[in-house]
Amino acid sequence: MMSGPTPHYHLQEARPDPEPESSAIENARRATLNILEDFAAEKCELESGQRATLNILEDFDAEKKRMAGAERAVLNILEDFASEKSQLEEFQHSFLNILEDFSQEKNRLEGTQRAVLNILEDFEGEKANVELVNERLENEIRDRKHIEVEMQRTNMELSAANKELEAFSYSVSHDLRTPLRSIDGFSQALLEDCADKLDATAMDYLHRVRSAAQRMATLIDDMLNLSRVTRCELRRESLDLSAIAKSIASELQEAEPERRVEFAIEDGLTAVADPQLIRVAMENLIRNSWKYTSGHPTARIEFGRSDANVKDCFFVGDDGAGFDPRYAARLFGAFQRLHTAKEFPGTGVGLATVHRIIHRHGGEIWAIGAVEKGATFYFTLR
Amino acid sequence: METKTILLVEDNADDEALTFRALMKNNISNQLVVARDGAEALDYLFATGKYSGRDVSLGPQVVLLDLNLPKVSGLEVLRQLRANERTKLLPVVILTSSNEDQDRLQGYDSGANSYVRKPVDFNQFVESVRQLGLYWLILNEQPPARR
Ligand SMILES: Nc1ncnc2c1ncn2[C@@H]1O[C@H](COP(=O)(O)OP(=O)(O)OP(=O)(O)O)[C@@H](O)[C@H]1O
Ligand SMILES: [Mg+2]
Repeated sequence: MMSGPTPHYHLQEARPDPEPESSAIENARRATLNILEDFAAEKCELESGQRATLNILEDFDAEKKRMAGAERAVLNILEDFASEKSQLEEFQHSFLNILEDFSQEKNRLEGTQRAVLNILEDFEGEKANVELVNERLENEIRDRKHIEVEMQRTNMELSAANKELEAFSYSVSHDLRTPLRSIDGFSQALLEDCADKLDATAMDYLHRVRSAAQRMATLIDDMLNLSRVTRCELRRESLDLSAIAKSIASELQEAEPERRVEFAIEDGLTAVADPQLIRVAMENLIRNSWKYTSGHPTARIEFGRSDANVKDCFFVGDDGAGFDPRYAARLFGAFQRLHTAKEFPGTGVGLATVHRIIHRHGGEIWAIGAVEKGATFYFTLR
Repeated sequence: METKTILLVEDNADDEALTFRALMKNNISNQLVVARDGAEALDYLFATGKYSGRDVSLGPQVVLLDLNLPKVSGLEVLRQLRANERTKLLPVVILTSSNEDQDRLQGYDSGANSYVRKPVDFNQFVESVRQLGLYWLILNEQPPARR
């Protein structure tokens, strides 16, 4: 940029030299002037160069100013960047914290993982056990299913057997009674129509035939009633046991008004049970008390609720003939009696029937008694 | 007095003889017609088969019906009687052998007017027939027969 024209010296037109000597001086002066002249040109050139330089510098200054603006912008940017940076640093910091936390977490996780692995290892062993147990269970389930099927089959067989029993009972009832009607009816016909041809012994025999036929009819009926108790469907209703006891008591008193029997029936005793069956059970118990007190001139029959041996049980008790407690276990068996027919008539199915009825209700029955000290029958209903 | 027949539907000859005897003992002198199975009973009642042409205005006044019968059961005989306009009001007494039958029948409406259990004790049977005779042959007015 500073390359100016190379300075060259212009020699001025020589002027007449007055003297030689003076000419040397003259020469020297001229040369000096030339040099000066040259130098002035040179100076001019330099000045213009300087000017150019100044111009350039001037330009440079604007440039510099521009630069300064740019620099300021950059500084701003840098400043901005610095705040950004501190933010970043903060972020990085927290990130590091997170990473630190995470690494703790990671340790924990690794611990857990290790534990899980241990468990899994244990589990491998356990699994074998479990599989064994599983297999056994499956076998058991299979067995159970088998048993279930078996049970269903047995149940079906049972209900079929029950139906058969019912049909059997029905035909027993129908078919056995028919010939008995003939035996009794024609014996009676003989007694009436041929009385003049029969002596006293023959008449006595015919009477025995009749009473045997009638006794057999009673046996059949008792047997059927006993089986009916087991066969019929259980119906549960709220029952007033006290009222049932009272109605049985008054029936008995009406039938034998000459007997002096005091009834002590507790009021308000209730139960949820089958009305027909409970009536049958209570009638058997109270009738027994009525029958087994008949040898005494006066008697007392009681119906109530007791908490004596078992909580919340009912009882029917009397002060009659009682029974020998050694044979108490036989009381509830069918056709089992503790008294002879001569002492007291009966078939021995009454208590067996009661027993079945109480058991069908999920209850229990037991008796306490002693000879001539009366008897008390306790029962529960569920 | 015009006497109408009593139809006894009974397959057992002994029971037939004893029923006849019990009726006689009660001085019930209506003619006794015996059908020995359910089909014969229906023939008599509807004047069909061997009874075709019978004058149905002559009764019966009452039917004594056993339940266990050959061919057509007692209950089926009763059902057909009740389904027929002419016989639907005819008094029918069912003779049962057991209490159980009686319970079973009383459980639903079989359309019978009463039930009598044939007791083993003949004297009791005579008494039952006496009460029956009183009720169905004397006290109970038959509705006029329709054709
Ligand atoms: N209240 C009572 N006092 C004394 N003995 C009794 C009493 N109740 C029952 N027994 C004894 O228990 C036996 C069995 O009683 P159960 O009612 O089953 O038969 P039963 O009374 O002899 O005949 P039935 O079948 O007509 O009832 C009786 O024979 C009697 O010996
Ligand atoms: Mg008894």
